[in-house]
Amino acid sequence: MLRGVRDSLVVVVPLTAAAALLPFAYSNELLLFNFIVFLVLAQGVNVIYGFTGYLPFGYVGFFGTGAYGFSLAVIHLHLFPLVALGLGAAAAVLLALLLTPLFRLSGAYFAIASFAAAFAVYEVVSNPHLDAITKGPYGISLSQIYNPQLSYGVAVVILAVTLGVTVYLKNSRFGLSLRSIRDDSLSAAMAGVNVVRARTLAWLISALIAGLIGGVFAWYVSVFYPETVFGAEFSVFAIVFALFGGVATVSGPVLGVIFLYGIYNVIGISAPQYFQLIYGLLIMGLVLFLPGGVVPLLRRWGIDVP
Amino acid sequence: MSPEKEAPLLAVEALEKRFSGFRALDGVSFEVRPGEILGLVGPNGSGKTTCINVITGLYRPDGGKVTFEGHPINGLPSHRLARLGVNRTFQVPRPFPSLTVRENVAVAAYHGRRAGGAEIETLLLSLELDAYADKPAADLNSAQQKMLDLARALATGPRLLCVDELAAGLSRTELERVALRLRAFAGSGIALLVVEHLMGFIGEVTDRVVVLNAGKIIFEGTLAEAIRDRRVVEVFLGTEHAV
Amino acid sequence: MMLEYALLAGAIFGLYFALAGLGLNLVFGVMRIVNLAHGDFMMLGAFSAFWLFRLIHLNPLFSALFVLALFALLGLPLYYLLVPPLLRAKDPEMLSFILFFGFSQAIEALAAIAFGPSERSLPGRLLGRGPIRILGQAFPAAWTWSGIASAAAVLAVYLYLYHSRLGYLTRAVMEDREEALATGIDVHFVSAIAFGLGLALAGIAGVFAPFMLGSATPSMGLGLTLQSFVVIVIGSLGNPLGTVLGGIIYGVSLMFMQTYFSSWASLLPYVLLILILLVRPSGLLGRQVRRA
Repeated sequence: MLRGVRDSLVVVVPLTAAAALLPFAYSNELLLFNFIVFLVLAQGVNVIYGFTGYLPFGYVGFFGTGAYGFSLAVIHLHLFPLVALGLGAAAAVLLALLLTPLFRLSGAYFAIASFAAAFAVYEVVSNPHLDAITKGPYGISLSQIYNPQLSYGVAVVILAVTLGVTVYLKNSRFGLSLRSIRDDSLSAAMAGVNVVRARTLAWLISALIAGLIGGVFAWYVSVFYPETVFGAEFSVFAIVFALFGGVATVSGPVLGVIFLYGIYNVIGISAPQYFQLIYGLLIMGLVLFLPGGVVPLLRRWGIDVP
Repeated sequence: MSPEKEAPLLAVEALEKRFSGFRALDGVSFEVRPGEILGLVGPNGSGKTTCINVITGLYRPDGGKVTFEGHPINGLPSHRLARLGVNRTFQVPRPFPSLTVRENVAVAAYHGRRAGGAEIETLLLSLELDAYADKPAADLNSAQQKMLDLARALATGPRLLCVDELAAGLSRTELERVALRLRAFAGSGIALLVVEHLMGFIGEVTDRVVVLNAGKIIFEGTLAEAIRDRRVVEVFLGTEHAV
Repeated sequence: MMLEYALLAGAIFGLYFALAGLGLNLVFGVMRIVNLAHGDFMMLGAFSAFWLFRLIHLNPLFSALFVLALFALLGLPLYYLLVPPLLRAKDPEMLSFILFFGFSQAIEALAAIAFGPSERSLPGRLLGRGPIRILGQAFPAAWTWSGIASAAAVLAVYLYLYHSRLGYLTRAVMEDREEALATGIDVHFVSAIAFGLGLALAGIAGVFAPFMLGSATPSMGLGLTLQSFVVIVIGSLGNPLGTVLGGIIYGVSLMFMQTYFSSWASLLPYVLLILILLVRPSGLLGRQVRRA
């Protein structure tokens, strides 16, 4: 518990405070908002990959589902944004429930199947035949509820909660049981861990996180296309950021986002292919030389990071 | 033999397990009483480990019944069995490599602990793992990993402990210690099912043995009787495990 | 008429998809690793064909031979650089997935830098003018020749695997890597050849991609990998010949979808992949069930 308090003080509080206060000092709010989105997504990947070892290659499926669930609730049911947000997140959790049979697959097949699932959802949402319901490929406009201040604020809250979840997982018995499952699910079962339930719970939490931030993303940008919120780069970036920093830690994904998404904003926007080259090579280097990411390296140097 | 009078803790009846046509277990029946150490012996592929895997919920049996403390337990998932008091060690130890030694034991203590399960620190001390408590399990040598596997099982406070080739690869002195420990567990009322190739070790720790061959029981009794049994000798003759 | 057309076109495309999946499956079968950059090598094959035609007017059929040699040679050092460290790790399958994902991104980026992001295509007449009639149905010559070339490549792989000494050793490694090592087979050399062959097959499939799939862009790789994965999952992971069955089933279902439910055809590969992984993870010809 003490470690949980310490982790919160070192990571959650300063990061949340920075996210909340920086807009007063820095004018590019969209950039800050995108940072929040990727901090949340990288932690969401951390929850499922770091703590259970299943790589959600199609993680963006939950983000996009959250965004569309939110938007359709606003458009068709005329719900208040905060209520609609709940519906968007519920849609993402529902998708995750539908996909639980994928856990029968071992590592790489799970990754590929989840990737295919995200594509499948995108194909359905963007299908011109569903124009009346989803607006098909023509995109969503939510100008009637456009409210950058409030949606930014909600994003900050989601960030704080998500970071809190990872602090909890790192320091709790539930988190320990997840890590034991990741290491050896048979042994974990013999230790009395309900493997199926624990894994499913982590999966649903991870989907909930992506669904929430997806909904807020839709709210904040308010005009978007299916390929905006189902773009594979959301999954790819979130995974790369989390891997780079080091999963199953609190600070790893945070460091990954700040460093790599920082680089992206310096060179990636004007020359995306150079950024892609850098992170492609970086991943290869990580797998070959630093499989645990940066945080374990810092720890080996005696720097105690959460 | 006083345990004979007590009700059996574990009763296995006509157990069957097939793997795509191959009968790994073909009508196996035996009983284990509280505090008893039953040896499960037989040549490679005779079904010893399969038997443990079925009892501990890794495999579903294709036929037959497993009863524990009077309740049917076949088909229950492993974590339920662990909480009921059925546990095991693995032939090749399977600790959680990225967790520390203490965390390895803690997982079982938090999630599978029954009343009477040993304290984490006591277990680490008694299995001589206390010096490595904060090291990742991956750093342990194989003998220590076996002890950690055992500690993980003991942390749940088992009533029945299946021990799959714990002795293989241990040194003479380590063997003696392990034998003493197993006897001590039995003394505290735990029933043990011991799969082992080393006949000396089996003779030292078990009260009774069941000899398996090709998924069938060919002998049941003490080891001393077994080595005089013609069929048992035939099965083992010419193999490295002959007594 | 539509039915016959869909069946025949499906078979032609099926042969092509079999070729596309074959290299991926060979690498998986021999090394038990997932080459997520497979589609990017197809993309490189497509761009090779494009530039060889643009610069020296080389016919794609000859480009295919050139690509075969070049990619196979490229595969050897790449194998020794990337694969042995993976095979020593705890979970090679998962690690390979991530490593080759990085590789795929790097290749895609380099291709975008070198060739620009625009779509490139090759005129179909390079592979013959006018439609070719098969069983009363007319198909573009480019399709027909791509199908024939695919069949030839598949046949060559079959002959290699089942009627050559190295192929025999390759199958031994596929059957049981440890056993092969114990019997003194130079497992790394055999694997390196298989890796090179895998890339070469991807390259050849890439050469015909502009004819079969319309055009080539640097970012087409990941989609192609996924499609190839569908094909080999249908057939059977690790069984190269199962790929042919997988390819034809996939090709025919795709053509059926495009003929009768064209608006939902794009869903097919994803739904098919998920369903087959869940219902029969070992593929239609597989024996071994793969589960966590």
